[in-house]
Amino acid sequence: MTPAPAAAGPLSTLAGDVVLRAEHVSVEYAGAQPTHAVRNVSLELRRGEVLGIAGESGCGKSTLAYALARLLRPPARLTSGTIQFYSRDRSDPVDIMALDAAALRRFRWAKVSMVFQSAMNALNPVISLGKQFADIFIEHVPEMGRDARDQRSRELLEMVGISPDRIRSFPHELSGGMRQRVVIAMALALQPEIVIMDEPTTALDVVVQQEILDEIHRLREEIGFSIIFITHDLSLLLDISDRLAIMYAGEIVEYGYSEQVAARPAHPYTYGLLHSFPELRADRHELRGVPGSPPDLREAIVGCAFTPRCRFAFGPCPSTHPDLRSPSHAPRLALVPGARQVIGPDISSAGWSVACHLHDPKLRPAGPPAEITQPAGSSAPAVTAGEDT
Amino acid sequence: MSILEVRDLSVEFTQRGGPRLRAVDNVSFELRAGETLALVGESGSGKSTVARALCRLVAPSSGEVLLRGAPAGRRGRALRRYRREVQLVLQDPFASLNPSFSVEHHIRRPLRISGHPRAGIDQQIDQLLRSVNLSPPRVMAKKYPHELSGGQRQRVAIARALAPDPAVMLADEPVSMLDVSIRLEILNLLDALKRDRNLALLYITHDLATARHFSGRIMVMYRGEIVEYGPADEVILNPAHPYTELLESAVPRAAVTRDQLVVQRRERLQERKIAPPAERRELAADTGCRFRGRCPYAMEICTTHPPDFEVSPGHTARCWLRDPAGPAGRTA
Repeated sequence: MTPAPAAAGPLSTLAGDVVLRAEHVSVEYAGAQPTHAVRNVSLELRRGEVLGIAGESGCGKSTLAYALARLLRPPARLTSGTIQFYSRDRSDPVDIMALDAAALRRFRWAKVSMVFQSAMNALNPVISLGKQFADIFIEHVPEMGRDARDQRSRELLEMVGISPDRIRSFPHELSGGMRQRVVIAMALALQPEIVIMDEPTTALDVVVQQEILDEIHRLREEIGFSIIFITHDLSLLLDISDRLAIMYAGEIVEYGYSEQVAARPAHPYTYGLLHSFPELRADRHELRGVPGSPPDLREAIVGCAFTPRCRFAFGPCPSTHPDLRSPSHAPRLALVPGARQVIGPDISSAGWSVACHLHDPKLRPAGPPAEITQPAGSSAPAVTAGEDT
Repeated sequence: MSILEVRDLSVEFTQRGGPRLRAVDNVSFELRAGETLALVGESGSGKSTVARALCRLVAPSSGEVLLRGAPAGRRGRALRRYRREVQLVLQDPFASLNPSFSVEHHIRRPLRISGHPRAGIDQQIDQLLRSVNLSPPRVMAKKYPHELSGGQRQRVAIARALAPDPAVMLADEPVSMLDVSIRLEILNLLDALKRDRNLALLYITHDLATARHFSGRIMVMYRGEIVEYGPADEVILNPAHPYTELLESAVPRAAVTRDQLVVQRRERLQERKIAPPAERRELAADTGCRFRGRCPYAMEICTTHPPDFEVSPGHTARCWLRDPAGPAGRTA
């Protein structure tokens, strides 16, 4: 299982721990003015963990996921970067970008499978579930006999909590939650090492969503695969993922353990996202969200892409691009009283990075212990400086 | 002041080869000027059908709707007058705006239909756009839906709903299609408009947290029935119906540690093993309490349909557990 945050090493762990490593991945959508949807993203997925990727629509999170599974189709194009896959059998790493068509066909679904957002569209409405399961095995395990296929499909349904008799059902005979379970069973059919889930619960209501998430966790513990979980709902990600990557305008702006990020968001954007939804049981107070809209990714972005929406922007932000660095929690973004509690007073900053000039001691607005106050008329908290961890 | 009063509203749909489906079953409530009432429930509970019946996009099969004490118009001019007063904002701003017309057109139409003279209509459009914070209004007016972000589109939809100067606004999941980061802006806008224009707002949502934070009272709907009703804080912090409890417990909470999360997950999975939820839900009860198939506290008496019991002043729950004369205190 994943190590506890306290015991966490730096982000570049030993290769044995890692199942997927992406380095400097950039993707653009061709056009008169190409859209730079993913810009120089590096991340790694560790064996058995849930890595959450959060961000607004159009921030490139789905494009990144598609790139990792090499599912991009023109006009999308990977313009740079490497993606390495480390199999659990400890054989040589696979360079996903170098696979030829036949090898890629064998690789996909067997090693990396995907759960798409809309379970309604991911299933074929005119074919029974049994036949859709069979398609997977016919393609990838041609030596498997009809009875064995049927047997395995029933097992898979049972595994996700659906009666095996449903094998003869058609998708429209199932509820939304059941369909999503079927899609998950299909993704697990070939025991992949990585499952990419793109907004798997967005169309479901809270009760069903919780059931599906519990199910995903149970299966991960029983079978042992890694998950890349993509959603715009940060409260959900904090609940299910071990580590988080926050994306903005095609880049990762914050990357760390969920507990770290939840307790002390280091990037102003993460902070904004965390305070975009009211806490169910907390006191009522005014919330702001993140006013404004993301930049046009067709334009060249100079400096920090978040600058126009950032309440804390200062000198270098519009002109100098911030690189990912270890957060220095002075100044740290304080928390709305009663909103999100700090989990533990001291949180290690190991394995945590943020792309923001506020965390660069050389650039940070001077004068410790300084206080950056919030704009007048806002009840949002101030940023307090001078507390190093 | 009560603006819209709904009495025993029911909506039935015919199903091919089956019995009629009662999507809304004897629902009664009132909307007051300057107040937000939230209607929450899971998908398929009938929330949207309530909104559609209130603006008469579907015909109620029985029940009464009173606007300022007078029965709502059913046809012709009276219906048009009623619709002008009761406006709807839909969930999906990508589908609810016509892609081939400008923003201006979307707002001019309802203004004209509700009898605004041609003279001064541009100023009125600008004022409406300004009231939903779309500025500069003259520039925004000329834009087409594809040039707008999701949040801006929803603002246009709100401006359009405001155009006939309604007394009642029905907002059906107005932010669920929008990014988390801009949801609050739209909700804050609706809240401000409600205050400034003294609107009666029905906020339909499956999100309990925003329901609590943006409304005075909450109604919880389950399979067509209002099972709990009361002041927002009361309903969320002291839920009286087991279904509300279930909804509330399913909301992800960030303030617990990961170890606790794992333990909670294991417990829930263990509980569900006893009765797989996907199947359990199919046990729709025709008589008695409709929730009893999923209810952890189900008792013998639950085969009889429960009435509304008052839990505290203004807070009611349709559950036998709340029967002051009954056998049951809460068991868990």
